[in-house]
Amino acid sequence: MKQEQIKTLIDALAASDLAELEYSEDGSTLRLVKQSALAAVPAAARRPAAAARKAPTAESAQQAPPPAAAAECLAPLYGVVHLQSAPGEPPFVQPGQAVEAGQMLCVIEAMKMFNEVRADAAATVQAVLVRSGQEVEAGEPLFRFG
Amino acid sequence: MFDTVLIANRGEIALRILRACHGLGLKTVVAHSEADSEASYVAQADQALCIGPSAPGQSYLNQSAILFAAELSGAQAIHPGYGFLSENAGFAARVEQAGLVFIGPSAACIRTMGDKVSAKRAMRKAGVPCVPGPDEPLPDDPAAVQAIAREIGYPVIVKAAGGGGGRGMRVVQGEAALLDAMALTREEARQAFGNPEVYIEKFLLHPRHVEIQVLADSHGNAIWLGSRDCSLQRRHQKVIEEAPAPGIDEALMAEVGERCAAACRQIGYCGVGTFEFLYEKGAFYFIEMNTRLQVEHPVTEMTAGIDIVQQQLRMARGERLALVQHEVRCQGHAIECRINAENPDTFAPSPGRITGWQVPGGFGVRVDSHANAGYRVPPYYDSMIAKLIVHGSTRTDALDRMRLALAEMRIDGIATNVPLHRELLRDEGFAAGGVDIHHLERWLQQRSAA
Repeated sequence: MKQEQIKTLIDALAASDLAELEYSEDGSTLRLVKQSALAAVPAAARRPAAAARKAPTAESAQQAPPPAAAAECLAPLYGVVHLQSAPGEPPFVQPGQAVEAGQMLCVIEAMKMFNEVRADAAATVQAVLVRSGQEVEAGEPLFRFG
Repeated sequence: MFDTVLIANRGEIALRILRACHGLGLKTVVAHSEADSEASYVAQADQALCIGPSAPGQSYLNQSAILFAAELSGAQAIHPGYGFLSENAGFAARVEQAGLVFIGPSAACIRTMGDKVSAKRAMRKAGVPCVPGPDEPLPDDPAAVQAIAREIGYPVIVKAAGGGGGRGMRVVQGEAALLDAMALTREEARQAFGNPEVYIEKFLLHPRHVEIQVLADSHGNAIWLGSRDCSLQRRHQKVIEEAPAPGIDEALMAEVGERCAAACRQIGYCGVGTFEFLYEKGAFYFIEMNTRLQVEHPVTEMTAGIDIVQQQLRMARGERLALVQHEVRCQGHAIECRINAENPDTFAPSPGRITGWQVPGGFGVRVDSHANAGYRVPPYYDSMIAKLIVHGSTRTDALDRMRLALAEMRIDGIATNVPLHRELLRDEGFAAGGVDIHHLERWLQQRSAA
């Protein structure tokens, strides 16, 4: 596989919304994985929103750049989201609010159990993307951090 | 008498009731929430009515909506299933006042048995063995409370009269902790059940959970249909049940069973019901009565060869019991595994779309479920999606059959506790039979420590 060819494949993956790309030719195989896809493995409930624009090379994956500033908090499971502890109570978090790692963001109710969703790291809530009482799918974005 | 039954429940039990009704030539109306409109059993009913949004409080617990659905559809009877409104005396009374048949005992019976203190008193009167301790609520005088506890002997358990199903109780090891425990339980009971009454009993250390299924008509006849052992529990939720309870002297079992049937006759009980007991060192202690159909009724159906739900409907129609006690023959052994949509290791709920659904079958294998491939398990209700039941000529035979059935079962798309059941069926303690109610929690602790 020529270096030029590899460069073309990297650009092709970067321009697409694919998470990974595998290419085989004459017995050799090249596998490219985007930074965002790698980051999603250890922390499934968090994804850097801006990572898709990064150059998806194997080198950049190893050099682990600082976490993307803009990120979203994703629903860990399918259920009903509650943004406050009880009707009439103030919401756990509001847009513009700074949150600390481990701070409660919302609760997802599924099958009579309440699953707390907490912040992975310190961040500022930029937007709340769901309504209280709404059904959310697993992996659906709940909050955007700025 | 009624010819149309409104089913005020959902999931597998709604389908179970629907089948029993159709088997008797009765028409069915399924009252369902928005979340359940697409469920296949809804389409199998003669009529289906949406009674409200997905949240149970706005649909399956909405008494007015259910009564209105009955009126609209022309149903003359309401089957409450289990859970939801099945043990709500107020609802039973409203159904009766509306001129409809509540498929269950009278509101008065539900009320008596719903209050744990009055239930205990009624059982003592009927000669049913109870846990040592007074069948009176605790007095306010601290010295009197301490005297009662001393007479029973520690450890004791403080229980809410309005509790049940494992809620509203606290174990006390010695006198120093008694008064605080009583005050705390009283306050919790006031908030959770609207009734601050508490009572105390001897706390048994290693009991089994053994229960008796009864069937009574409205003409003063009652029989019992054998025993069940439901000792495998996690957080007071039954996980595996079996019939009969293994290793218990048959003559003793028959004596307790007969007392339960006698208690039904004495309190004027009608329909199906279950007397729950703790069993320790060869003795039975009544804990509570469930005045409804139970999740685990199929294991008794398999051993007794009686369709309990059809019988329940017949009793509600005013028929006389068609069999007497000595005609009840329990044969072989049956086991039920509750299949839940939950992670088998963490127990985290796992609602969502079922993409693959392969259930076991063959001789002696029964699956009660409303689910199928493509069904989306809603996040609003209980996590149970199926009951896998096997019957064998002996307990060993039933265990073997259950192992094979579990190996055959495959559910894709969501997490289920099928792998947990496979492991439990390999546990030596369970295989030997007769484990206590703490066995599963201990087993889980050991597993997480390993």
